Amino acid sequence: MSGRDTQEAAMNRQVPEHNSIPSGENTVWADVSPLLEAACKELRDGELIHGDNFNLFAAMSALEIMDPKMDSGIVCKYYSLDEAIEDGAAPVPISHDKTIDIQSTIDIMDHLLACEATWHSGHSLAQTVFSCIYLLRPDRTSSHAILHSYCRVIRATCKAVVSVVSDARTHEEEDVFTMTYGLPLNGNGDEKCLSMLNAVEETISRQLRACKAPSSKRRVLEDIEPLQHNLDLEEGFCKALLCRLRFRKHFFQALSCMRRPQGRGFELARKHIASCVSELGFILKSAEFLRSGACGTCEDGIEDSTTASGCSPIGFDASLNSRLSAPTPPRAIKILSWKKAVEYFVKLLHDLDAICSYPLDPSLEGVLRFVVQFQKSKPDLVARAHLQLLLVQDGKLYGRDPIFAVITKAAGLPELTKNHDIQKNEYIVQLVQLVINMLKILCTNAAWQRRKLGKILQDWRVICVQLEIALRNEIGEVSSILDDENMSVKMLRYILNWVEEQTYWIASRFLMLGFELDLYSPNEYCMVYWYLYVVLIKLAEKAHIRITATNGTVKRKGGKKKKDCLKEVAKESRIPPAILFLQCYVCLAEGLTMLLAALRNELMVLQSSSPFNTERERFIQHFELLQKACVPDHVSYPSFMESTTYAQFSTLAMYNYFKEAQRIAKEIKSSFSNDPDKLAELKRLEQIAEHNGVALNLICRVGALDPSLKVTFEFSHHPFFATAVVKRS
Amino acid sequence: MEQQKNEAVTTTKAEFDPSEIEYVSYGGEHHLPLIMNLVDQELSEPYSIFTYRYFVYLWPHLSFLAFHKGKCVGTVVCKMGDHRTTYRGYIAMLVVIKPYRGRGIATELVTRSIKVMMESGCEEVTLEAEVTNKGALALYGRLGFIRAKRLFRYYLNGVDAFRLKLMFPCPGIHPSLSMMADRDESQMHHEHIASGECPESHRCS
Repeated sequence: MSGRDTQEAAMNRQVPEHNSIPSGENTVWADVSPLLEAACKELRDGELIHGDNFNLFAAMSALEIMDPKMDSGIVCKYYSLDEAIEDGAAPVPISHDKTIDIQSTIDIMDHLLACEATWHSGHSLAQTVFSCIYLLRPDRTSSHAILHSYCRVIRATCKAVVSVVSDARTHEEEDVFTMTYGLPLNGNGDEKCLSMLNAVEETISRQLRACKAPSSKRRVLEDIEPLQHNLDLEEGFCKALLCRLRFRKHFFQALSCMRRPQGRGFELARKHIASCVSELGFILKSAEFLRSGACGTCEDGIEDSTTASGCSPIGFDASLNSRLSAPTPPRAIKILSWKKAVEYFVKLLHDLDAICSYPLDPSLEGVLRFVVQFQKSKPDLVARAHLQLLLVQDGKLYGRDPIFAVITKAAGLPELTKNHDIQKNEYIVQLVQLVINMLKILCTNAAWQRRKLGKILQDWRVICVQLEIALRNEIGEVSSILDDENMSVKMLRYILNWVEEQTYWIASRFLMLGFELDLYSPNEYCMVYWYLYVVLIKLAEKAHIRITATNGTVKRKGGKKKKDCLKEVAKESRIPPAILFLQCYVCLAEGLTMLLAALRNELMVLQSSSPFNTERERFIQHFELLQKACVPDHVSYPSFMESTTYAQFSTLAMYNYFKEAQRIAKEIKSSFSNDPDKLAELKRLEQIAEHNGVALNLICRVGALDPSLKVTFEFSHHPFFATAVVKRS
Repeated sequence: MEQQKNEAVTTTKAEFDPSEIEYVSYGGEHHLPLIMNLVDQELSEPYSIFTYRYFVYLWPHLSFLAFHKGKCVGTVVCKMGDHRTTYRGYIAMLVVIKPYRGRGIATELVTRSIKVMMESGCEEVTLEAEVTNKGALALYGRLGFIRAKRLFRYYLNGVDAFRLKLMFPCPGIHPSLSMMADRDESQMHHEHIASGECPESHRCS
């Protein structure tokens, strides 16, 4: 290192004659070269001159100049965009041969689609879409109507997508995505891209009609100049261009419609989405034509190619922008293949359509269920950002329903309470904020979502405590008043119960997501299912209280006939189906806990011994956030040990949790006959219960006798309830 | 930023007896090129020489090298320090070259580092590993690490990582852990550097 420094010092010996910053009153320019030189001579190998705050971050940020792995400023091909253009890297027109020009234009469009999909999946805009030299100089393409209009709509679309994602901003996942520094995203006139696209589309449509017309009619249309000169290819090229242009048009419009407040543009957006999907179909179909020797020999594997034709596109250079990605080292970005890009857009459109077809359920329970269901398809950032912006607009649900009204409804309070003065209380204001935060978090990727859900548990717990205190104070105040029940007391009681229920719901989601993210290893399943079981019991308990209380309110309100009343009492004495549904989860979680514990206790499998710590430490680490928030109260490692240490197959066989789960699932199916999602879930639960019941019986019968019996756990039927698989090894 | 590489890939395996492997604590500049070569070869993330020196100069006693007949076949690079309210160890890089994998060299290397961390008062040890790196995940699982978090697209190549954590038992609650009792002192021959002391020369005025 010291050698290098000496060289540099030697190079800088001359004091620059034209200082851009003149010496001032208290400053004077001095030549430090001799000092540096002397210092370099003193330095030994491994020594470093550094400031006081040299830390890991500084060390990691330091770059070795001219190391291609690190130096993003290293010149790969061109020093500047101008140099690239001068060198003919992006000619306009692309070729003076019109046929080649059209072919190349289509390649550029295809590669841009691949770049866009790559950007959406987590790379920087500068190194994907804006690796296109044509995009970087908006004015240069103006003489080339097709390319110009396409570039405009691409820039406008990127801008729209960046704005959705940055408006929904919740965490660092978006940082790379929304980084647009130095890019011409605000191109002059890009907002007029639709009219330009329409004009170009119109021209090509006419060219298509002209080339398809029988020769007798051609004369009438003769004033129309063909797209290019090879008449055999005219139809194919027209079609290939049209579907690509139309896809861009509808995609841009779909995004614009989706941004209208309160989901008002959804119906129209769905139409554009449907058009996008059908144009993508045509785009896929055009590949055959484009590949059929349109450009002669293409050596690249078609599967990996970023264009339909298989040819590499003209006018792209990712290294031109790599300096914009500093301070990160230049990433070697692998652009998705054209096929993968089309698949990506099909999936994105499907996810966007799911959002647009959501009926804006006013009940929070319905919202939560929709979001969880939506997340199951693992939507990408763009779709999730749209969902989040729909759910929370101007601090209201769908920009329409005040959150406090949503809460009172969820808590089971009558409609008239939604404007009660209680909402001015500080803790209610906080609660409203918590609900908004929760909704936003539920729209993030699973990894981030789980971390955030774990962290907000404490906030929910604090609100519980505050509500408890407020309730106690209210009760003290009103005890003197001879009213049968004060409204504030009633509201606090209902809201408190609901907040507790919601806290357990968050905790259960936190635990379940751990399975999806593959955070648990098989020797930890026992404790995880046990924790899930204790949380679910509490969740069911709070939900039951809420439902019973609500039914009471309804009954009191409507002065019904005696006969109906009796019927309702009979209905109430039974457990509501929603609770039985949770009960089914509880049985499965408890059953799996006991099965796993018995396996460990009796067959000595899935035990966890490690040289540095014990199961206790792993328990503390996995459930740290739940324990900190006391969710639930009085739950700890000793209580886990207490409930599992004595688990045995003989007792498990007598009280079979899986049989119970199966029975419940069967019984309540009819109550959910018009809810296909829940019905499908019940079917899955029934299957797991049945499988695990059989496995349990088998282990009970032969387990202890047959040491070759192997028990493993799979998630083939359900994302978080495991199926036991018993095999002889 | 950090990476682990210990996949049990079936490549041409080296023929050797485990007793032939010699483990050495970081001993100075002559070890640095060996470590850098191994890491540059096996891990995708680019590190500058500053990063290597940051680790090995501040915590030489936490870095180990494995030699077979004079050839460096594996290395581990670590650090420790305050993190929020805890004092934690951190395993930055772990590499064993392919022909030597699957024979417990990586386990021995990290075990040595972890032991030093524990003796130095760390309450926990953390690291990140690619979710696809089954070998490393199994290795750390056996040592008692849990997968505490998943880090979305953590690496430059877009792959998710797990944050793995190993929590040491609180002294007093679990007084006797077997491994503490039969700890082999003879394995430790490193020079201690007072923590907080920066070995890099400080010449800025």
